[in-house]
Amino acid sequence: MLSPERLAQPDYEYLAQRHVLTYMEDAVYQLLENREDISQYGIARFFTEYFNSVCQGTHILFREFSFIQATPHNRASFLRAFWRCFRTVGKNGDLLTMREYHCLLQLLCPDFPLELTQKAARIVLMDDAMDCLMSFSDFLFAFQIQFYYSEFLDSVAAIYQDLLLGKNPNTVIVPTSSSGLHRQRPALGEAGVPEGVEASLFYQCLENLCDRHKYSCPPLALVKEILSGVQRLTFYGFLGTLSKHPGINQALGALPDKGDLMQDPAMDEELERLLAQVPGLAPAVTATPEPGCPPSRTPPRVGSPWRPLHHPRKVDTESDGSTEETDESET
Amino acid sequence: MIPGKYRSVSGRSANNVNCGLHLVIQTSSLPEKNKVEFKFNRDSPSFPGRLLQHDLERNYSSRQGDHINLVSSSMPSFPILQRSSEEKILYSDRLTLERQKLTVCPIIDGEEHLRLLNFQHNFITRIQNISNLQRLIFLDLYDNQIEEISGLSTLRSLRVLLLGKNRIKKISNLENLINLDVLDLHGNQITKIENVNHLCDLRVLNLARNLLSHVDNLNGLDSLTELNLRHNQITFVRDVDNLPSLQRLFLSFNNISSFDSVSCLADSTSLSDITFDGNPIAQESWYKHTVLQNMTQLRQLDMKRVTEEERRMASVVAKKEEEKKRESQKQSLLKEKKRLTINNVARHWDLQQRVANNATNQDRKDSASPPQDPCQTEGSTTSPFPEDTGAVDSGITSALQGLSVIDTHLVEVDGDTLSLYGSGALESLDRNWSVQTAGMITTVSFTFIEFDEIVQVLPKLKIKFPNSLHLKFKETNLVMLQQFNALAQLRRMDQLTVDPQGNPVVNFTLWKYYVLFRLSHFSMQKINGTEVTQNDMIMAERLFGILAHVASSELPQYRLISILGDARKKQFRYLLETKGKKPGIVNEENNDSKRLVGENTNRATLNYTTREFYNEKLEDIKEKKKFCKMYIEDLMKEATEVNMKNEALQKLWPQMFIELVRDAVIEIRNKNSYMKLCLQQITDQK
Repeated sequence: MLSPERLAQPDYEYLAQRHVLTYMEDAVYQLLENREDISQYGIARFFTEYFNSVCQGTHILFREFSFIQATPHNRASFLRAFWRCFRTVGKNGDLLTMREYHCLLQLLCPDFPLELTQKAARIVLMDDAMDCLMSFSDFLFAFQIQFYYSEFLDSVAAIYQDLLLGKNPNTVIVPTSSSGLHRQRPALGEAGVPEGVEASLFYQCLENLCDRHKYSCPPLALVKEILSGVQRLTFYGFLGTLSKHPGINQALGALPDKGDLMQDPAMDEELERLLAQVPGLAPAVTATPEPGCPPSRTPPRVGSPWRPLHHPRKVDTESDGSTEETDESET
Repeated sequence: MIPGKYRSVSGRSANNVNCGLHLVIQTSSLPEKNKVEFKFNRDSPSFPGRLLQHDLERNYSSRQGDHINLVSSSMPSFPILQRSSEEKILYSDRLTLERQKLTVCPIIDGEEHLRLLNFQHNFITRIQNISNLQRLIFLDLYDNQIEEISGLSTLRSLRVLLLGKNRIKKISNLENLINLDVLDLHGNQITKIENVNHLCDLRVLNLARNLLSHVDNLNGLDSLTELNLRHNQITFVRDVDNLPSLQRLFLSFNNISSFDSVSCLADSTSLSDITFDGNPIAQESWYKHTVLQNMTQLRQLDMKRVTEEERRMASVVAKKEEEKKRESQKQSLLKEKKRLTINNVARHWDLQQRVANNATNQDRKDSASPPQDPCQTEGSTTSPFPEDTGAVDSGITSALQGLSVIDTHLVEVDGDTLSLYGSGALESLDRNWSVQTAGMITTVSFTFIEFDEIVQVLPKLKIKFPNSLHLKFKETNLVMLQQFNALAQLRRMDQLTVDPQGNPVVNFTLWKYYVLFRLSHFSMQKINGTEVTQNDMIMAERLFGILAHVASSELPQYRLISILGDARKKQFRYLLETKGKKPGIVNEENNDSKRLVGENTNRATLNYTTREFYNEKLEDIKEKKKFCKMYIEDLMKEATEVNMKNEALQKLWPQMFIELVRDAVIEIRNKNSYMKLCLQQITDQK
């Protein structure tokens, strides 16, 4: 614990690297938001629940975009949540447009920006015909790298632009708002000019980038692997390969491998139980909780770190919460 | 034979001809055949009436035994008629020359007191040679070949003139016949009524079976009681109201198609009997009662008595028609107004959308986030440069203001449907709706209103229109699936219709399933007209069930409460705002939420906050987060200070400890001096 490297790092840096402050701030913010309710069952319990949910990755559900984007862990959790919630859509085989995927994203995060979804779509569609339909897995993996590595990708885009224009690749490159890739598209099609940039040069720049910047980058080894295989490459070609590379996926750790993307036995079980409860077109289900249970009373389960450790108390949604005593009171 | 029409009703068979006011013409059993003698042959007693040759030469010649008294050479061609003196005495005032194959009127000599003259069924072409019969009252020329009325100017006493079934083309030369009582011109070729205005004693005028196309020029016929105009081509009738005595008017088999063309009839007070059969007007559904309503004095229509019942019905129907007409006029006016209003609202909406698009594009350009794509201006048609956009934008906003404030929204109740056009219409929900009207409404339709605005009004809708089962949205800017979450707060919904026009959300493949999923507690029957099947429900659950599960069971406790509490708080706040803090409302809220037991609790966290509110919330969040950040920073500073001190202490402690120990050991090295020091310290303390 008290290793020398750790002690060598100044406190601020240490805290910042692990984003401890972000979570502390957010915890305090949540406390502030809900002090009446939380005061009922105690602050200690609140913090327990909060950090549990951070561990399990459920803390980003229905939160604002600025929070979701704040830390790599948040981003990974969001990706995982998206996968879990909408895996069934993919399983059903539906091909959706970019806008529809964006809609689904908005179900989990109401103010998710459209640009990110658009960029992800561009990776899948190779910057072509933006209204095309995309499969769930294609979109998900493209979205993953776009969202998780968004700053990295922006810098890469800038580098790519400069390489295309033939500028000196080793100068400090700062992504500006004017380097929209679309303007350069006609240049790619020019007769006689080879498409894309040279792979080795490109790799050198990326190496520099990763060393210099503190935001998360994909593992360089994998990047090298990708770039060593080709002579020249285009920007979207590079991104496409990046998104499909299983190593990257594993390095991120948020999503399962492509082959296993549609599998989630735990959730499937849950789904079956829910389906069994679907009433016919007869009037609504009665309120009495059945032994087959409304999901708010799921029994505790062993296993994956993403499941709640102990079942949450049954939420009394019938009252507005403030006047009635909940059955267990903990201090 | 005297035409049967002119037989008296009483049917008396007296043979005298009255010269009084009341002309009675009786059936005559005149054995006419035998009474006429043409003095050709004295020997033959009765002359069955052989055809005379018109030949001039013939007239001059005499047949064997013929005895013709030639008249003076001024009229050499006409036969001269003479009767035996017995006949003259017997039938002194009447002379019948029916079916005598006459082609000309013969000269009638010595019969100056003749009052009745019958030339029926001959071939006479001109009326001649009767000017001397100045006592003539009855002249019958039915069924001849007369082409022109003439030769009557001396017959000042004439009362009955029968010229039916001839070839007369024009009414003329009747100037002197001021005593005329009956004028029969049926079966001719008359095209125009004229030259009869002086006949102020005329009672019966028969112009049937002619070529009349219209009726006018009837003034002056002050005694006319019967006017027969059957079988003509009459299209309109005028001047009838100038006939003060007209009682019977026969217009059968003409070309009258509307009551307007015979409108003068309504002004006639004397008419009691009228026929219209055989006219186009008689085929109309409104024929009978229109006629009866307009001619209340009528006693017979089309030869049938008009009963009181019919009259009453006619007035009732007429009144209804009147009302209907008024109603339909009002309706069409309303419809027109409605159409104009809707157009206005639509225009307003379009402008608004364009302004909004410009604004969002502006925002996108201004923000300093990752590289913008200039092609994102597909929403607007303006150039991408900010200055230009600004100019167009201001142009549009001023146009927006220019649109009239009146009639920018429309509220319409049509049986069971409440239609709202334009955002101003939402205010109408505040009106005092009668319980009956509000209870009848089952469908509410929103057009040209932003969905976000509708969301804010849904609680009102729930209260005021408790029976609304079907919601329709058109041009309401539904763009996100999330927006459907807002509909969950309603009490009931059986049907939902989202028109593709103006609602991009319909383009999504999954929208229906999402609606079914989120609003599963409504057990909806139909979406956009198509029935909801069990398969649909299952598919919806299959697609989104996990989302619900995650949204409910995996959220930490406090988040659940906060999300649910948020929604409740908003509704509650709204209710407080509008109705004031009545305790009744609180109960209602509680009851309402208890009733929400029906709603699938695991979906309750899927809410929709309108963009406005959300942005407000984000602002709020920023504030709070700033505070939190500062607070944590303070804590962190404290913690790091403490940590630093701790670490410093850690570093220094060994040294300090050694120092302490050393000091202590040094102190105790000399036991005695130490004991003295301690005692000293103790005494010092006192």
